Amino acid sequence: MRIPILKLHNYLLISIQTELDDQTAIQFQEDLLKEIHQTEATGVVIDLTSVEVIDSFIAKVLGDVVLMSDLMGAKVVLTGIQPAVAMTLIELGIHMQNVPTALDLEQGLLKLHQELGE
Amino acid sequence: MGRDLKEVAIKNKEHIIKEWNKEISRLKDVNYTAEISAELFESNNEEFVNVILNSIRGDGTPQVIKDFSDRMIHLGWPLSYITDGLLVFRKVTLDTILHHIDQPEGEYISEVLKYVDSWVEPIIRQLVNEYSVSWEHVVSLQRIALQELSAPLIPVMDNITIMPLIGTIDTERAKFIMENLLEGVMRHNAEVVLIDITGVPVVDTMVAHHLFQATEAVRLLGAKCILVGIRPEIAQTIVNLGINFTDLPTKSTLKKGFLLALEITNKKILEVENKTQSIDKLLGLDKGSEKN
Repeated sequence: MRIPILKLHNYLLISIQTELDDQTAIQFQEDLLKEIHQTEATGVVIDLTSVEVIDSFIAKVLGDVVLMSDLMGAKVVLTGIQPAVAMTLIELGIHMQNVPTALDLEQGLLKLHQELGE
Repeated sequence: MGRDLKEVAIKNKEHIIKEWNKEISRLKDVNYTAEISAELFESNNEEFVNVILNSIRGDGTPQVIKDFSDRMIHLGWPLSYITDGLLVFRKVTLDTILHHIDQPEGEYISEVLKYVDSWVEPIIRQLVNEYSVSWEHVVSLQRIALQELSAPLIPVMDNITIMPLIGTIDTERAKFIMENLLEGVMRHNAEVVLIDITGVPVVDTMVAHHLFQATEAVRLLGAKCILVGIRPEIAQTIVNLGINFTDLPTKSTLKKGFLLALEITNKKILEVENKTQSIDKLLGLDKGSEKN
């Protein structure tokens, strides 16, 4: 199962529609980095609206993706984290301190736009 | 033998009622219901003693006792009146019956005691049950009301929401606050949430921890939290306890927090008309009217 990555102007859009298992997450990490390299995207939005469970491993992978993309010159914003997901993450002690977040896709794009100053 | 005793009791009904009234009136002065009029008290006593006697005679069904207790609860008679009344009744009845027996023997007396107890006990049990059920009902209603009030979320503007917190925060309430906060952020599409702790009397490490968790979770959703309403003594405790609040923007009053929220959401309050300007206009002093 591969997660589709869409290109929109300078940005990459990813909507995760399935429950992430470890394999898919790793695959996604590789795909995204490759895609950033190919398209020279400056911003990435990962939408998690339909994700109902995030365990510590997935959270780590997502945090890593953000750092890695940053190194490659692409800002990442996570959007649409559900209340229940946020609560479990906090209870697990995963604060994802350095990950920018936004309420929905729209605000995520706005945030990227502001931060990149385009 | 129980039947004989019942007959004795019923035959001497008048005497028992008289004695009972005397006793209960004496208790009245000491204990309760100072504000209840003597008339009401007497009529109620009469009803009470009749309910007891009927139930002993065997034609007082549980329903009669239930109706009676419902009325008592409704009118707010104290439970102590009921229990005292029944205990006095037991005492008076025993006295009366023993008075009418020719040679009271030890064994016989204990039999009598047992019988009279068996008359009074079910009534006491039922009445106390009715009372406690009604209390439990009230308590559960209040708990629901309290929960409704415990974490309200008020959307004041597009993207700005306020959660005023009043009262002590314990773990259960903190959980409820967090749930409500996150649901509300999603529902109202909030960009900034102001948490007002003016009404929270004590902020200890636990409360601070809960507040932190809530704000972190809100940040994961993509909104910002501002903690407002920090009173001087709360600032002191926070620093003395060594709690680190630096990651969280804090303001002393809701007003200041709201201004910060406006700044974050790129909004500004504009006065439509300046006060002096409108006075000028009223007096015909502004430039527009001068030209005319």
